[in-house]
Amino acid sequence: MIRLRLSRSRTLNSLVVLITICIVWELVVDLLNIPQYILPTPTSIISTTIKYSNYLLRNLLDTSIHALVGLALAAMFSLTISLPLAYSEAVRDTVYPLITGFNAIPRAALVPLLALWFGLGSMPKILTAFLIAFFPVLVPTLTAMVTIEKELWELLMSFGATKTQILIKVGIPRAMPYFLSSLHMGLTSSFVGTVIAEMVASDSGLGYVILSSTSRLDTALAFSCLILLALITFTLSKVLSVVERRVVGWAYRVST
Amino acid sequence: MEPLVRLRNIAVRYDGHRNGGLVAITDVDLDIYQGEVVGIVGKSGSGKTTLLKVLAGLIRPAKGEIIFNNHKLNGNSFRVGVLFQSPLLLPWRTVIKNILLPIEVLGEDVSKYLSRALELIEKVGLKGFESSYPWELSGGMQQRVALCRALIHKPSLLLLDEPFSALDAITREEMWMLLQDVISHEGCTTVLVTHDVREAVLLSDRVVVIGGRPGRVRAEVRVGFKRPRDLKLQYTKEFNDYVVRVRGLLGD
Repeated sequence: MIRLRLSRSRTLNSLVVLITICIVWELVVDLLNIPQYILPTPTSIISTTIKYSNYLLRNLLDTSIHALVGLALAAMFSLTISLPLAYSEAVRDTVYPLITGFNAIPRAALVPLLALWFGLGSMPKILTAFLIAFFPVLVPTLTAMVTIEKELWELLMSFGATKTQILIKVGIPRAMPYFLSSLHMGLTSSFVGTVIAEMVASDSGLGYVILSSTSRLDTALAFSCLILLALITFTLSKVLSVVERRVVGWAYRVST
Repeated sequence: MEPLVRLRNIAVRYDGHRNGGLVAITDVDLDIYQGEVVGIVGKSGSGKTTLLKVLAGLIRPAKGEIIFNNHKLNGNSFRVGVLFQSPLLLPWRTVIKNILLPIEVLGEDVSKYLSRALELIEKVGLKGFESSYPWELSGGMQQRVALCRALIHKPSLLLLDEPFSALDAITREEMWMLLQDVISHEGCTTVLVTHDVREAVLLSDRVVVIGGRPGRVRAEVRVGFKRPRDLKLQYTKEFNDYVVRVRGLLGD
């Protein structure tokens, strides 16, 4: 009860800080006569958001769907390849350096190529999200699978467990909390990926709206997009946290 | 009477590059009889855990043979239950599911062992905690769950490796009595590896002293007290004579 009240009052504190920042922002822009196309005031951002709400929501939905599909692919791909990688050290030693090497390529730089190969549709958006998101999901998942304590390993071997059984009975469940928490990283990464792809090779989505609105000096609209992106990832992250507590409550020592 | 397990001339070498072919134990002969509790004591690094791992089938000896019920084994194939110092329970499984893990791994029908699991839980005094998670239990309670897990599949040999050294003195004494009770109830042949001489004397029918580098069996002391034994036995002269004798055999 006390914790709940405490966390509520903390949320209230955050809101107060946020509102204060907005007021200061508004005043600074007004008093220093900063042009709206350089830095729009919070009030003009809000009115722009309301004015373009349909348009913004449509594009927000577009971006979110592509980012989430990319994330889902990244999650499935990471889980799938972490199994053979965890099972065999030989496979791991061969494939893992290649994956790490690939991760060193700035994936944003691949968007023009993806557009060249797949055209200006959904494909480059999903693929960019996927390419940026899979690595932060794979690494913790795989690490959790391959770092089973030696004693636990011996205990399982003592009653005849095979390597496959150890991976299924221990490796995978042990990796689940790491996998789910890495999805938070993956979530922001996939939105970054989709937005980049939309800026380079698309005519829809919030990335495209940001690019076209800034080129028209409609800076307030670009700010609307940024705020919506922050809100959507924040909200989805919260949803993910709820799922985490439900699915791997044991990792957080939550009694059910 | 033929021994249940007979180790003949066992030697273990660690080939890992870090140890550079270190010989951990050599010339080890050991007979373990049905229903017996054998304590193995030795200083750290004496190879007592290595010996336990040989019995558990976790290490294949470089030399020597293991005879089980008069059959020579290539690699181990008899059932063992192991209890380590740390309970090693899986935090995502409830108490009962942790206990049934060996049955799942062995590919046997879990439902057939459910009543046995509940019986063991009751025996170790954890009735009512079947659906608790390990992290909701104290260290001693977790170790009791681990003991049930070690016994669920009716192992031929119960192997205990410093099982109580992580517990506080009072909990340890409770666990001694509990273990003794469970062992006699299950009638299981037990090997207890420990560096606690008092623990070994109190619980074992026979104490085997291992020492030297590489480790060898230095001596065997038969403990003449009838089981079950009482905690008060620790404060008798006869008990202390045994402790002093075994301690002396361990060397400085």
